Amino acid sequence: MTRLVRAELLKVFTTRMVWGMLALSLGFTAIGLVALSVLSGAQGVPAVTGPEGVRNLFSQAGTGLVFAFVIGTLLMTGEYRFQTITYTFLVTPRRERVVAAKLAACAVVGLLFGLAGIALAFAVAIPALLIRGASLSLIGGDVARVCAGVVGAMALYAILGLAVGSLLRNQVAAIVVGVGWVYVLESILVALLPSVGKWLPGGAAQAVYGVSSPFGSGYLPAWGGAALLVGYAAVFAAVASLTTIRRDIT
Amino acid sequence: MPAIEIRNLSKSFGAVRAVDDVSFTVEAGTVTGYLGPNGAGKTTTLRSLLGLVAPDSGEALVNGRRYADLARPVCEVGAVLEATNFHPGRTARDHLRVLCAAAGLPEARAEQTLGQVGLADVARKRVAGFSLGMRQRLALATALLGEPRILILDEPANGLDPGGIQWLRGFLRFLADDQGCAVLVSSHVLAEVEQTVDDVVIIAGGRMVREGTLAELTSAGDRGVRVAGAGVERLRARLEAAGATVESPQDGVLLVHGAPPETVGQAALDERVVLSELVRERSDLEAVFMELTAAPGGPPPPPVAGAVTGAPGSAS
Ligand SMILES: Nc1ncnc2c1ncn2[C@@H]1O[C@H](COP(=O)(O)OP(=O)(O)OP(=O)(O)O)[C@@H](O)[C@H]1O
Ligand SMILES: [Mg+2]
Repeated sequence: MTRLVRAELLKVFTTRMVWGMLALSLGFTAIGLVALSVLSGAQGVPAVTGPEGVRNLFSQAGTGLVFAFVIGTLLMTGEYRFQTITYTFLVTPRRERVVAAKLAACAVVGLLFGLAGIALAFAVAIPALLIRGASLSLIGGDVARVCAGVVGAMALYAILGLAVGSLLRNQVAAIVVGVGWVYVLESILVALLPSVGKWLPGGAAQAVYGVSSPFGSGYLPAWGGAALLVGYAAVFAAVASLTTIRRDIT
Repeated sequence: MPAIEIRNLSKSFGAVRAVDDVSFTVEAGTVTGYLGPNGAGKTTTLRSLLGLVAPDSGEALVNGRRYADLARPVCEVGAVLEATNFHPGRTARDHLRVLCAAAGLPEARAEQTLGQVGLADVARKRVAGFSLGMRQRLALATALLGEPRILILDEPANGLDPGGIQWLRGFLRFLADDQGCAVLVSSHVLAEVEQTVDDVVIIAGGRMVREGTLAELTSAGDRGVRVAGAGVERLRARLEAAGATVESPQDGVLLVHGAPPETVGQAALDERVVLSELVRERSDLEAVFMELTAAPGGPPPPPVAGAVTGAPGSAS
């Protein structure tokens, strides 16, 4: 099984796309970090000198979720688009093992994207806190939880991408669906209809980060958000498996 | 146990019966041509054999087992299939490295097989810049990674130039003769494989039309023995007495049906006629193939197997 995961990771890292997506993800994180540091304390932005502001700051490490989604999508749709799925299944005819390996590879990609974002967050947060005269001891258990949430959410979105890709098989369609979901539907629902939004993957991630909901009703408790993320991952993994295992490859 | 065994295989896609009760075997050390016009069901058969398509009924076995049940499939079976391709952004070598990693083969196999198919020079080039023929060679390299003893090739000559086709023929014969491999190769052009194959299976509209050795198949196109020379008319009586029918398409030429060339030669010797020509006339293979795979709606196909073997004048 480890060799299959290695093969899937090789697929990811032998194309340039992954570096482009990582760069975009870090770019979004950087914008968020700088904005929150600069606006700290102004116009309702929690100051970075308090625990809430610090949590918000570190949660920026996970703003590039959609790029992890894209990598997960490509890992499946690329196989259909470039017709390499035949080779994949010739080497490993037990397809459930291929799907399992792809899921694991998505988790690794999520980990990588998450850790890269977190590293960047530290790089910006430490000087920002020092400049604002805040104590670095603010970076504590809270931040650890946010970081775990970022990694989990990144992995979840990569897996979500894999599932949508397995379902649609068409690369463009899958990416449009993903971007539309994350940037339009989910962000609107999470912001304007939090009673629904808090049950969505994006809302669950916010719950784990422990950031406050800007519009009332609030997110689930952190453990609830984490459980919800795991639940979604399981559902998406099942979708990816069921749609891949029986299909005729012609 | 035959290397490849297909038993009463059937598969429909919706209303289309792509493969209908097909059965044949391929033995080690032989090359079998799987021939049929476009849409005949060749690819569907081969993909069923490789566990990519689930048959509705019947079995397709390699080394006596279903492909999915093989412990190390790429080490037993190598395949080059239609409708497969490569990620354009990945290098030739990286494609093979991915497959080696998944199959648990040493990465050195990537370099070795690229050398075998003549792609060593472009190993580190992105596939985006590859010609169709280079992709076909890369596909062949993927099939060779695990040094399999069974090879399944779906129209492998597509996109190859004449030199490439020549090379492929030699390579397939080498695999069968020197390595003892069982090779199953599909084509919709008989002429493409006639110099390579030992056995032929012909399929049209999903149904098997013929099965036999290449020699048996070509004898089906037998159009008699053509004999030429001044005074060949003197052979007529003797040949007709031997039960042959004789035509004379032009002066000094006879076309003899129903007698082998030896009988005609003996008649010439007996009559002391000097011959300038004595050949078994054959319709060209393409014509035989066209006849056998006549468009649906035509006459029903002749019975499978046996029919050819039992025909008079089987080729030597
Ligand atoms: N995935 C599919 N969905 C629907 N019909 C299919 C599918 N795959 C094949 N068919 C149909 O099954 C029949 C056999 O197709 P197949 O590809 O096996 O033929 P072939 O002999 O390989 O043809 P060619 O020489 O063109 O490659 C055709 O009528 C084709 O349209
Ligand atoms: Mg075909």
